[in-house]
Amino acid sequence: MVGLSLGEEHFIQGGIAQDLRSDGRKRLTYRPIYVETGVIPQANGSARVMLGKTDVVSSVKAELGKPSSLQPDKGKVAIHVDCSTTAAPMFEGRGGEELSTELSVALQHCLLGAKSGAGAGIDLSSLIVVEGKICWDLYIDCLVVCLDGNLLDALGAAIKAALSNTGIPRVHVAAGALGDEQPEVDISEEEFLQFDTSDIPVIVTLTKVGRHYIVDATSEEESQMSSAVSISVNRKGHICGLIKRGGAGLDPGIILDMMSVVKHVSEQLINKLDSEIAASEAGAEES
Amino acid sequence: MEFVSPEGLRLDGRRPMEMRQIRAEIGAVAKADGSAVFEMGNTKVIAAVYGPREVQNRTQQINDQALVRCEYSMANFSTGDRMRKPKGDRRSTEISLVIRQTMEACILTHLMPRSQIDIFVQVLQADGGTRSACINAATLALADAGIPMRDLVTSCSSGYLNSTPLLDLNYVEDSAGGPDVTVGFLPKVDKVTLLQMDSKLPIDIFENVMQLAIEGCKAIANYIREIMLENTKQLEYRRGI
Repeated sequence: MVGLSLGEEHFIQGGIAQDLRSDGRKRLTYRPIYVETGVIPQANGSARVMLGKTDVVSSVKAELGKPSSLQPDKGKVAIHVDCSTTAAPMFEGRGGEELSTELSVALQHCLLGAKSGAGAGIDLSSLIVVEGKICWDLYIDCLVVCLDGNLLDALGAAIKAALSNTGIPRVHVAAGALGDEQPEVDISEEEFLQFDTSDIPVIVTLTKVGRHYIVDATSEEESQMSSAVSISVNRKGHICGLIKRGGAGLDPGIILDMMSVVKHVSEQLINKLDSEIAASEAGAEES
Repeated sequence: MEFVSPEGLRLDGRRPMEMRQIRAEIGAVAKADGSAVFEMGNTKVIAAVYGPREVQNRTQQINDQALVRCEYSMANFSTGDRMRKPKGDRRSTEISLVIRQTMEACILTHLMPRSQIDIFVQVLQADGGTRSACINAATLALADAGIPMRDLVTSCSSGYLNSTPLLDLNYVEDSAGGPDVTVGFLPKVDKVTLLQMDSKLPIDIFENVMQLAIEGCKAIANYIREIMLENTKQLEYRRGI
């Protein structure tokens, strides 16, 4: 973990109290975001997002599967996070599993909505090919390559970027399958469908250090946190998910206050992210 | 199946003695002491080095040399079909061991007694030759971390299909069932540190195939030197010397 002396701890806490953090940012400023799409050619869509020194890769793979009997009109999406040992030696062996699971669950809460699929950022009914019989299963795999705080926000951004980059092959279904028969399908290798990613929320984590809260904390700042609240917000300003981590309790008033701050910050983040994704996609098309 | 066309071209359009496009980059993981990305065609790996540092597990400490550890892992999305294998299967353990032994042989471990060096390699994309790519990436990462080494160990594979020796097999050629010779080589002292082969091969042909892999290693060594020189120039420039 991060080894800090008492002096350094005071320096970080004092800086946050004075709205000038150790890297010169204000409390509500993000580090520069860098997005690169299409980094894994074997996947249907992929992206690498760097948020300061935090570096994550996300890939989307689509496989044909069978929808669950409870929701015959919806496809399935699974999010899995893996913490690479390159990010920190403590992830060696099974060391990264706990964090990986925590992050996977948090992302599922923030991006996929309720169990019924209502309120999901991804339109699950667009994944259906033949109702009750064939649907696309989306496997979203994320890999943490370098860790310097604020993983959840980076992962959320990487998933959004990877989904913007994703092309799902168009499927032609052979007519004539009756009853319980599994219809024959023909997967097109030339035609691809793009996702509508405008509704996918971004995640903004507010980390509370002392009496104040900050966005986009680095590892050093995270080591000083008393609690953190991750809120996912979509373009319309709707709150899609909320997770509180860390031990210390929070005043309900502060949580409401945080929400209004997040609403404001997320607008900037969405715009910044969208322009980065567009720039990366345009760059990929040119070359 | 035909792996070399009558015109002498391979499935991906290469000549038999042609290597895939290689690309390397130093410093991909900002928080590590040394790191590198190494690409051979579609194979892409990241290596990160932590250390030399205090030994984490005291019982493993060696009093007259450094402890070298290595872990190899593959990302879920690295293969064509999505993998659902957990970490630490037998193949990864074996490759970890191979990389560790190869790197240990060229690190001057006696200069850093009672310390530990961790090498972590992560495969982002696998398209044959991950073993070689990992060793090349680890060499660059160790050099980036400033760890003293005898030489820059490089690795390359070669095979023998349709009675033609082929350099740097990709996934399709690798899974064809022919012999696959992986060589680790120290270019300056002209010594082989790693040699693995599966399947069978007549001795006189083996000599040719191994020589081909060694030529590949030498080419990679030249490239790695170029990259390191470029990186050092960049560092010099940034320091304003």
